Amino acid sequence: MISMTINGKVVKAEKGEMLLKVTRREGIDIPALCHHDAVEPFGGCRLCMVEITKADWDGWKNYVTACLYPAEDGLIIQTHSAKVNELRKGVLDLLAARCPNSPEIRELAAEYGVPQTTLEEVPDADNCIMCGLCTRVCERLGFKAISTVGRGHSKQVAPPLNEAPPDCVGCISCAQVCPTNVIPYKDINGKRTIWEKQFELIACKECGKHTITTDFADALCERRAIPRDYFDVCDDCRRKELSLKMGSIVAWSREGTS
Amino acid sequence: MRIENAGQLEQYRRECQARLDKQTRRLLVCCGPGCLANGSQAVSDAFKKVLRNRKIKGFKVEALKETGCHGFCEQGPLVVIEPEGIFYTRVKPAHAEKILEETIAKNKVIDKLLFRDHNNGQPITCYRDIPFYSRQQRIALRNIGQINQCDIDEYIATGGYSGMAKALTQMTPKQVIDEVTASGLRGRGGGGFPAGRKWKTAASAEDTPHYVICNGDEGDPGAFMDRAIMEGDPHSVIEGMIIAAYAVGAHEGYIYVREEYPLAVVNLQKAIEQATEYGLLGENIIGTDFTLELNISRGGGAFVCGESSALMRSVAGEVGEPRAKYVRSVLKGLYDKPTVLNNVESYACVPAIIDKGGKWFASIGTKKSTGTKAFSLVGKVRNTGLIEVPMGTTLREIIYDIGGGIQNDRPFKAVQTGGPSGGCLPEAKLDLPVDFDTLTEAGSMMGSGGMIVLDDQTCVVDLAKYFLAFLVDESCGKCVPCREGLHQLYGMAVAVSEGRATEETLEKMERLSEVVAVGSLCGLGKSGPNPFLSTVKYFRDEYLAHINDKKCPAGVCRELIRFEVIEDKCDGCMACVAACASNAITGQKKEPHVIDQELCNKCGACRTVCRRDAILVL
Amino acid sequence: MNHDLSKLSAIYDRYPRKPQSLIAVLQDIQKEYNFLPCEALKQTAEELNVPLSKVFSVSTFYNAFSLVPKGEKVIRICVGTTCHIRGAKQIQEQLEDELKIKAGQTTEDLQFSLEVVACVGACAMAPVVAVNERYHGNVTVGSCKKLLKKGKKG
Repeated sequence: MISMTINGKVVKAEKGEMLLKVTRREGIDIPALCHHDAVEPFGGCRLCMVEITKADWDGWKNYVTACLYPAEDGLIIQTHSAKVNELRKGVLDLLAARCPNSPEIRELAAEYGVPQTTLEEVPDADNCIMCGLCTRVCERLGFKAISTVGRGHSKQVAPPLNEAPPDCVGCISCAQVCPTNVIPYKDINGKRTIWEKQFELIACKECGKHTITTDFADALCERRAIPRDYFDVCDDCRRKELSLKMGSIVAWSREGTS
Repeated sequence: MRIENAGQLEQYRRECQARLDKQTRRLLVCCGPGCLANGSQAVSDAFKKVLRNRKIKGFKVEALKETGCHGFCEQGPLVVIEPEGIFYTRVKPAHAEKILEETIAKNKVIDKLLFRDHNNGQPITCYRDIPFYSRQQRIALRNIGQINQCDIDEYIATGGYSGMAKALTQMTPKQVIDEVTASGLRGRGGGGFPAGRKWKTAASAEDTPHYVICNGDEGDPGAFMDRAIMEGDPHSVIEGMIIAAYAVGAHEGYIYVREEYPLAVVNLQKAIEQATEYGLLGENIIGTDFTLELNISRGGGAFVCGESSALMRSVAGEVGEPRAKYVRSVLKGLYDKPTVLNNVESYACVPAIIDKGGKWFASIGTKKSTGTKAFSLVGKVRNTGLIEVPMGTTLREIIYDIGGGIQNDRPFKAVQTGGPSGGCLPEAKLDLPVDFDTLTEAGSMMGSGGMIVLDDQTCVVDLAKYFLAFLVDESCGKCVPCREGLHQLYGMAVAVSEGRATEETLEKMERLSEVVAVGSLCGLGKSGPNPFLSTVKYFRDEYLAHINDKKCPAGVCRELIRFEVIEDKCDGCMACVAACASNAITGQKKEPHVIDQELCNKCGACRTVCRRDAILVL
Repeated sequence: MNHDLSKLSAIYDRYPRKPQSLIAVLQDIQKEYNFLPCEALKQTAEELNVPLSKVFSVSTFYNAFSLVPKGEKVIRICVGTTCHIRGAKQIQEQLEDELKIKAGQTTEDLQFSLEVVACVGACAMAPVVAVNERYHGNVTVGSCKKLLKKGKKG
């Protein structure tokens, strides 16, 4: 264990764990749009920037992203100093210009004193902030169906060749992880459409509710050696079934002992 | 042929030298990038053609050599006759016969091909007497322009691979690192990180394997030192890499070459093959148990790949996005393994350091920036070309003594160093010594060595706009400040150049620059605002002229200027009429021409072609 | 559009069939076909065992690659700093005018592609225009026409 000072308070941490993990554990609210615990830290949105220094740095301060800076003994960290807030404000101003129609961005920007971007709004902008969470989650799950395309200001997230992505199984993790809800999908009549690819949804044998796509189920069965019929029922019904079973076991055991 | 030990190498060197000595006359045709663009290949071919048909007394065909960049590109195509150093400029294929018959056969110097001093018009026979050359000191560029660019025997004859042999057979890896540390060599790619310290960290890293990489992704627009070295003296880079690999215990290395440099790839490939054939590279180098395999990795055309972590991802076949630097690439680099990455020029210095000792290298230059530094001296300077000077030489010495001052005797305005990451320094800074720390302090940076001289007809707003456009194009798009911030800065620079900005725009740009500089993930973004910040610092008035007076004092920004013909000066030569792409100029021969302001697109072509300075910019 | 993909296997044979070879392979395909045909991208993904998404990502990230056919002659206008201050913009406009295309485009007859490139490293001869791999120095607005004529001949 090492010890650091965060906003004046002495905090213990594991050496090498990322600062963002420590601050979150301490209940400090630092915005981070490109971070998700399920994937490797990325350092793209730059909102989790904090000010660090050490007693022997002669007053020199550095600005680093908390998601990608490992805890070190003796670090003195300010998460909301005037300069940090100013930088965050600047970044949010940029994001607000990039995604002027995103309610999530507008809300966060307003919180940091940018009710309206002071910069030139990007014309015809969508709400994608290019945090890359969707592609990284997709990669983490092993499907690697989508990726970033191009570079610089015109970089986008897209399926390969802008066609329905062959490796997509319709798990919609990308849509669920998106901080600005910009990836659309539709579930209609037992069919799911995402990235312009259509999938068949499995209907629960018991209640008829739609669960996951057949492609996703197949992929999970293949990788984790789960029997395919596991997905015949939905989680709720499985639980119900299980509790019924449990109930009869309990009843049976009581009968046995009395 | 395979060289089995250091003794054999020495013996072979003597043979190569003897062979070279027999060529009492050597005819060197510069085939560097500048001369090639000026048609030097045709010149060389013309020499070959003459020699095929005729015997020239005392001259063998082998003594005709196609060399790398000799340096004085402005005067190209260059032909040099050694050992006298007779220096012919602007040579045309038609001159080949005469040079062979007169100079080679009869020892007669051809006066009209000589360089003329611009001050007194006097011809200078030997290049070593021309100030452009006499004030230089060459270490990294030691062989370029002197030897046949694709001949390992000539490289060996000039002492090549002796540094490597010394390192591998007489020194321990630690001693090699100590020598490089003692030399004070700092990274020539622009970072200026001490090479010895980098090597030491990599050598002591426990994780294996270790890699060496050469950064040949010379992306700074306006810089071509590394290109000249890779093309003109590829063996010096390879030798430097072998020494580095030995020092840090690497057995696999990569040379990452920019895709815009196809000839560098070809020459490096040839050099690798030659060295491997000789047993100077590959398995059991000169009979020792040290083995190194070198591969060439061609870049895909992305400036950001000059950044170390992006470069390593690119070598691995991935998208060149940088990653955060909390783990240093020297410990977790290529494939997450310890990796030493140095640039072309740094590696080219290493053999000389091992050969002559770290102390010798440290005795050149300044205390904190030792040795020499190569620059491409370009822009509005009279003598453009490739140069190498001791660190600590002042900007004035470089621009005026070596560079011969400003083209057409126009006033000096600024010098730009460090490419898109650097900045512009005004006249007041001309006496600063050129070294890593001084340039950074002054608001620019050393960078890889592009030195672009600007005159009063260069607009700093236009230049800042230019660099921002470049960076917007080259940003990888991973982090917000760089991707969005540079885009916004560019938009505002355009507004300034078009007279649509207010002083508030300028303040906004300065505030945003801070966010981009502090907030960006990698060096590209962090240094991206520099060209703007340095110009606004030293030339604020020029920005204000665009903003408040709606004028571009340099006469560059199209929205703020118009062209007019000065009737008294115009002699009606029709040159501008022919040059005008939008047919905006009318007039008869020998009568003053007129520019139709409606049709004029302000491209300035008329001004460029006018020999009488009769086009006025308002 | 159908392309003769038979040349691909020779390209794959030049490199280890590993993800690391991706950029080198794509460069060779680009050189062979003057662009990266879709089918070639798909085949490359399989041959090198790289997800198709990554092949697409890489081929759109680097300037060296194009997903649309390039002209037989690629004219690259150097817009490096030196060329810029020595009038590369004028040269670009002139060539755009002559070819009736913008930089980044290809003529309909697939004869010429016009590109801008940030520094070819021949700054002393600025402004520089390269036609395929041949460099032309000190180009003027007037000499552009000549350059295209030469380019047409080969």
